[in-house]
Amino acid sequence: MSVNTFDQESRPTVAWLWQVVTGVGLVVLLGLHMIANHFIAKGGLRDYAAVVAYLRNPIILVLEILFLVCVTTHALLGVRAIFLDFGVSDRIERMLTQVLKWIGVLTVVYGLVIMWFVIR
Amino acid sequence: MSTLNYSRTKQAARWFDIRQRKVGMWAYALNRITGIGLVVYLYLHLGVLSMLMRGQSAWDAFVALARSPLYLVLDVILLAGILIHGLNGLRLAFTGLGFSVGAQKALFIILMVIGAIILLVAGLKIFAV
Repeated sequence: MSVNTFDQESRPTVAWLWQVVTGVGLVVLLGLHMIANHFIAKGGLRDYAAVVAYLRNPIILVLEILFLVCVTTHALLGVRAIFLDFGVSDRIERMLTQVLKWIGVLTVVYGLVIMWFVIR
Repeated sequence: MSTLNYSRTKQAARWFDIRQRKVGMWAYALNRITGIGLVVYLYLHLGVLSMLMRGQSAWDAFVALARSPLYLVLDVILLAGILIHGLNGLRLAFTGLGFSVGAQKALFIILMVIGAIILLVAGLKIFAV
């Protein structure tokens, strides 16, 4: 009997559902980010003055912050899922979750600092 | 004491072993490989964005460099990774929530064809800049 290799994929958990929520959010937010910054922008990238003007638009700023939070959460949940594939113990899983949470918080703070430098 | 054991490591590594060439294995391997690549890119991208804090001259010098053909090729590779991961991820979300479970193979192939078309159009747009 042939094996259905699709059946070996991970099944819903709370982390998986968050990954779906942030993933669906990314389809919209990454799409907007790519179109606005790489397809509409003259020359495929914004120069410094254009970046400042872009981020000083409050709607854009909120969307970019949401994008930063979504992409960081989605990426680190993905990293966690790969580590969990190695079958780590519950203790290591808890430690890994905490470490990735802090990496996520630092990543978002770092992104916010860059945005603040640009718009101040 | 090591927290990894050989059989578990082997089990995790099976996602990257595409020798069986089943479509589901390709789908999962592609999702993992593009996912890892995109995480690496995310942190490289955030590193590059730090140039915004060094002011106009630093950022504008980078922008001039990033418009070179080599960077444009890297942009196309990045877009390919985003499309494969994003569209394959949508399939995983649908089927994980119980939709179209019996049509995963067809769904995967259709989404990858859509991705290839978007990549072709976007690639032409990138090099037309």
